Amino acid sequence: MPQLTYLEAIRQGIWEEMERDPAVFCIGEDIGIYGGAFKVTEGFIDHFGPERVIDTPIAESAIVGAAFGASLTGMRPVAEFQFMDFIGCAFNQIVNMVAKAHYRWGAPAPLVIRGPSGGNVHGGPFHSQNPEAWFVHAPGLKVVCPASAYDAKGLIKAAIRDNNPVIFFEHKYLYRRIKEEVPVEDYVVPLGRARVAREGRDVSIITYAAMVHVALEAADMLAKEGTELEVVDLRTLSPLDREAIAQTVRKTNKVILLHEDVRTGGIAGEIAAIINEEAFDDLDGPIVRITAQDSPVPFSPPQEEYFLPKLSDVVREARRLKAY
Amino acid sequence: MAKKNKNVPKAQGRHSSNGQGWRDPQLHIPSSSQRTYTIVDHRLEKPSFTIRQIRKGDEIRYEVTGDLNAPVPAIRESKYLDKKQCLEIYRWMLLNRKMETALENLYKQGKVVGGVYFGLGQEACSCTSAYALHKDDWLGPMIRNQGSLLVRGFSARDIMMQYMAKAGSPTKGRDASSHFGDIERRNVVAPISTLGDLIPVLAGVALGARLQGRNIAVMTYIGDGGQSTGVTYEGLNFAAVQDLGLVLFVENNLWGYSTPADMQIRVKDLAERAIAYGIPGVIVDGTDACQIYDAAHEACERARRGEGPTLIEAKMMRMKGHAIHDAAEYVPKPLFEYWRKRDPIARFENYLVSVKKWLTPQENEKLIAGVDRELEADRDFAVASPMPEPESAAGGVYCDSSCHEIKPKYGVPKVRVAKSGIATPRQAAVHLR
Repeated sequence: MPQLTYLEAIRQGIWEEMERDPAVFCIGEDIGIYGGAFKVTEGFIDHFGPERVIDTPIAESAIVGAAFGASLTGMRPVAEFQFMDFIGCAFNQIVNMVAKAHYRWGAPAPLVIRGPSGGNVHGGPFHSQNPEAWFVHAPGLKVVCPASAYDAKGLIKAAIRDNNPVIFFEHKYLYRRIKEEVPVEDYVVPLGRARVAREGRDVSIITYAAMVHVALEAADMLAKEGTELEVVDLRTLSPLDREAIAQTVRKTNKVILLHEDVRTGGIAGEIAAIINEEAFDDLDGPIVRITAQDSPVPFSPPQEEYFLPKLSDVVREARRLKAY
Repeated sequence: MAKKNKNVPKAQGRHSSNGQGWRDPQLHIPSSSQRTYTIVDHRLEKPSFTIRQIRKGDEIRYEVTGDLNAPVPAIRESKYLDKKQCLEIYRWMLLNRKMETALENLYKQGKVVGGVYFGLGQEACSCTSAYALHKDDWLGPMIRNQGSLLVRGFSARDIMMQYMAKAGSPTKGRDASSHFGDIERRNVVAPISTLGDLIPVLAGVALGARLQGRNIAVMTYIGDGGQSTGVTYEGLNFAAVQDLGLVLFVENNLWGYSTPADMQIRVKDLAERAIAYGIPGVIVDGTDACQIYDAAHEACERARRGEGPTLIEAKMMRMKGHAIHDAAEYVPKPLFEYWRKRDPIARFENYLVSVKKWLTPQENEKLIAGVDRELEADRDFAVASPMPEPESAAGGVYCDSSCHEIKPKYGVPKVRVAKSGIATPRQAAVHLR
């Protein structure tokens, strides 16, 4: 089985779907001859042709609007945002035109909006954001945040096949930093299902994207002192896997919610409310949130380090909760 | 920029010239030969007024200056319409107007939920433009284009039920007014409340069709008010650069809610904007059905030949307020007088009865009575139909695998026969560590 980076896995997933289904095409900025700013669509235009790999002007509202329009004729567009930070430019099209279409007038919108999000790459305020919570908040959208190469390929394929609009956040820190065995054959990872990345019995950490790896690192450290962390990777933020969330809390009775997104209005609040609804009686301690601070993402490396959740935060809170 | 070589066979259908079953990009060079620096003006009069804010004693008011006494010109002969088509268009306009009158009455009887939007004075534009579309073309109506929905195959009862929020409305009560559509049969995209957003969507519809081997015409509208939005620009520019068959009617009805066009734009004619996009621009009298049809027909034919978008500015005036609650008292009275004389239905009726003599007064009466009967039946049906059950608000947020089967509408896109292979990665160019 070949070893692929997270980015290569996404590339392979989109490629396979384009080969499998002639209705799938790519649209975005610089995705053609340039192969995309992060080279996700490298080689695509040579193989699939310019009809199916469309370079657009710098017009995010038009990219989303046109993708939606094409989906009304039965196509399955994959629209790339060069950085997911720019999703603000298409916000109205996404939440008002696309998200509401099926509910209001029975028009499914089988498009995927994908692009790099996340920080720890010294990208500053406009190249490092985690905008996922804005879209979890809009009924009608699905929001996906893979943390592994295997999941990235399986989830992008599932997203493309889904009849609903999917916002697919690819964590740019993970693009080339993780490499793992990814099957060459066709497989999908279902949307709406979390996975247990590491089993444990003392404290649960529910997290997603790059923070999954921080949680796993913390788990390794804590295992040496006899604390077994269970790491749950949400994978899909909307719809959330309520059962997986409840199950891990019932098992360990203590839970940390970890995300790179800012604290206020981040999805940890939503998950805490779900735990309250589904597993209140199973809690033996308060629900702990570890998140970025409430500010834009600072640029200078020491400041960004301060801003982001740290391994030491996770270790400290896990010890505190274990002892509670 | 390279000029389109007219001798090269068009590979835009399902049968391309290179035998590989996909379109050669050489044949898809944008055609700058369509670029224009002159705006074609089909009107037989060119009214020119200015609307300004002035102080009148304690108050600030709008004042209009200009030649408001010009005589009403004749209807311009159409190059394409025959008698049967003209009579159909006339009937559609009558149905449009009378439906809106019925809606106004329903509102006054307390049967309408929310407000009512009128296209009074704009019926020629709504109905005649949509009349130029073929079955496989698409429409994206705006709030005042309810006539276009009728032409496209929805009925007056559908629109009435929307306004009355009935269970049997096209959106099953979930949205109001003209916010509905049909992707299966009538090819209509439902608008949303924010303006300009339909433009990139309709461009995308044309893109989707083209990927399936068809050049179609896609038609939508934007007002003098709505065209200020950024998404208007983005959508139209995208359509222009991709040569998508977007027929955009810019309905300059002089008022964006309470704000006159003079306070929203600096250009004299919105059609001038076409120059900035690199597409043809046309001006028509929005109260002359023949002019509208000719422009729409020619633009749709261009679209179906794959020659890209056209911007058609239709000049007219909004003869009521923004919505039923708005008495439009801010509009200077002389403007209403001027445009009342140019009522599109009265002009066309006169054209059919007195000029072309395609309709005797008795036939006209019979036609009008027929429309009245149809509307009465629709009205009675809509009023009698039930409100939705409260629980019907639940569900349908997502499309699950059982509710829709999605497949390409115009046929499976011809794609290059794939040889299975995984792209070999090359050097990354982004400098984020």
